[in-house]
Amino acid sequence: MTPGLPDSISDWIGALQAQGYFADGRLATALHLAVRLGRPLLLEGEPGVGKTELAKAVSRVLGREMVRLQCYDGLEQRDALYEWNHAAQLLHLRLAQQSSAPEQLEREIYDPQYLIARPLLKALQAQPPGVVLLIDEVDRADEPFEAFLLEYLGEYQVSIPELGTVGAEAMPITFLTSNRTRDLHDAVKRRCLFHFMDYPDRDRELAIVRQHVPEASAQLSSQVAAFVHKLRSQPYADAFVRLPGIAESVEWAKALVALNTVHLDPEVVDSTAGVLFKQKEDVAALGSLTNDLLAPEKAA
Amino acid sequence: MSVSMLGDARSGKLAENIMGFGRLLRRAGLPVDSSRIALGLQAVQAVDIGSRDQLRWALESVLVSREQDRVVFGELFDAIFRNPEIAKQLMAQLLPVSKAQKESARRRPRSQEALSSPAQRQREDAAPPKEEHRLDAAMSMSDQQRLKQADFEMLSASEYRLVQRLATQIALPIPQWPSRRRMAGRRAGALHWAACLRRAAQTGGEFIELPSRVPRLRPLPVVILVDVSGSMERYARMLLAFLHAATRGAARRVFAFGSQLTDLTRAFRAEDPDDMLVQAAHAIPDFAGGTRMAESLKVLRTEHRGALIGRRSLVLVISDGLDTGDLQALDYELSWLHKQSHRMVWLNPLLRFDGYAPLAGGARVLARQSHAMLAVHNLSRLEELAEALRQLLRR
Repeated sequence: MTPGLPDSISDWIGALQAQGYFADGRLATALHLAVRLGRPLLLEGEPGVGKTELAKAVSRVLGREMVRLQCYDGLEQRDALYEWNHAAQLLHLRLAQQSSAPEQLEREIYDPQYLIARPLLKALQAQPPGVVLLIDEVDRADEPFEAFLLEYLGEYQVSIPELGTVGAEAMPITFLTSNRTRDLHDAVKRRCLFHFMDYPDRDRELAIVRQHVPEASAQLSSQVAAFVHKLRSQPYADAFVRLPGIAESVEWAKALVALNTVHLDPEVVDSTAGVLFKQKEDVAALGSLTNDLLAPEKAA
Repeated sequence: MSVSMLGDARSGKLAENIMGFGRLLRRAGLPVDSSRIALGLQAVQAVDIGSRDQLRWALESVLVSREQDRVVFGELFDAIFRNPEIAKQLMAQLLPVSKAQKESARRRPRSQEALSSPAQRQREDAAPPKEEHRLDAAMSMSDQQRLKQADFEMLSASEYRLVQRLATQIALPIPQWPSRRRMAGRRAGALHWAACLRRAAQTGGEFIELPSRVPRLRPLPVVILVDVSGSMERYARMLLAFLHAATRGAARRVFAFGSQLTDLTRAFRAEDPDDMLVQAAHAIPDFAGGTRMAESLKVLRTEHRGALIGRRSLVLVISDGLDTGDLQALDYELSWLHKQSHRMVWLNPLLRFDGYAPLAGGARVLARQSHAMLAVHNLSRLEELAEALRQLLRR
């Protein structure tokens, strides 16, 4: 076992918490198993529930570099894996053409110094203890890329025709995130452990808000956590198209602090609604529900 | 939950239990194969199985791979690991489970079916009269639906041949758009270095041709919305079959709408049009019912937002526009759809009547919000559809 690697579920919870990330038991178990069994962890969930943050926090906990591949429509192997620096190769070719023999020349231009490593290759080449590899928003890339990823995640090696096979120096700890804009292929899911991230419960949200916005008063942060939590629960949640994530509640708390708010009232909620919601219909829906949402909880 | 109940890993009892649980999940429709089960076994050994929560979380992260399966997993986990006796009985698949039955009301039908023993399931299949009596009202309604679905399900041989002919002879060329992937081409632009080098190698190291990087063309993604309400009954089936064959190869999402929205994308993956129609008929709960287009589109907007890809999608709305719902809401939803799509085309079977004008409320809104209205009332018009679409997209 690598030194410094948290080796139980409670160790992980503690270590992540020290880095300002509040994981629940279910998440910590999935993480513990992913690391222990050497499998990628697929994180699904609504935007803003802390999928990307988890990878960052793990990289801080382990003191390993984080290598991030942001996926997008049209992502190609050249952007994800490697690319030859053709311009430099040509220059070298022109200069050396007179002096060297053809075989010698070929060896020279396919030298690793002309290879531009992109994130997936970088993750393999990293020296022990290895890196934390984040493949962000896999659902945005297309199916051919997914098929390639399947091979990569299975073997953690790639073959470069001119150089040969490159294997992992040290196994990266891999996270995949998906916003579920489309279903991932079953084969990719089979390679991974799966964790669906829910919105946090109220206490965890409060801890997160406190951590990220320490300048907010205790009263304000607990009001923010309670308000957002209530808004995400039934029957209110149905009124909105897109619910605010943790990122939004943290932003909101910051906005409220910037406005010198001491406690929430309908007016301030109304004027800051644009921080929580990014859709016209949702802002309008919030307007009609503010009073209900601000009403004090019945004593539980 | 105690370790003794689960058994010791070394004695093999644990393996047996996990395997039984995995099989049970599979019966409930979760994609759990033997390699997953093996991984599950490794997983439970990496956590403290004395803690019920940890055991649950560990198994969940390994055996569940879709969000929609989490509830079923939870129910089955509770059922199995609450009482070792139940677990034993279930895994031996010998007796019907009295305890599980008592709690049946609250469980999902999928969990319920997985928990019932095979013998019990057979019995239910064979003789369901009691059930029928209890669900009287609902059954008579669904019987009606089933009758209507019956002639929806299969193509007659002549129709089948016709669809086949149409699909091969008049391939509906889905218009193409430049994707963000690039390939070597001739137009000026950034050089395609790899191709330059390859060509140079053929000409003794001299650069004579300089291929540049040009975008690859790909068919536009298609979103098809088919009205399956009563008034559209005669057209929906043939159109579905035609579009199924004609848009093969394109990225497509297909939805049927009547009184509610049904996602038919999965059904459209079937190769055979008959298979597709059978699956579609099963999926559509309200075939030949009413039309509530605005509500259906709202579901599309809120739950299937991802179906429309970055304002590139070609949206085909197949409807007669005889909608009885709220027109203002329909207008709002259609304008959203209009804005999200590359082109929105209304295929209207009523266009065959001379002097037809979209006067009905829903039709008026559709005519206003669509980029074009095309006739699809019989198959010969389908041949013109391809050309019309091409014209429309050139603009």
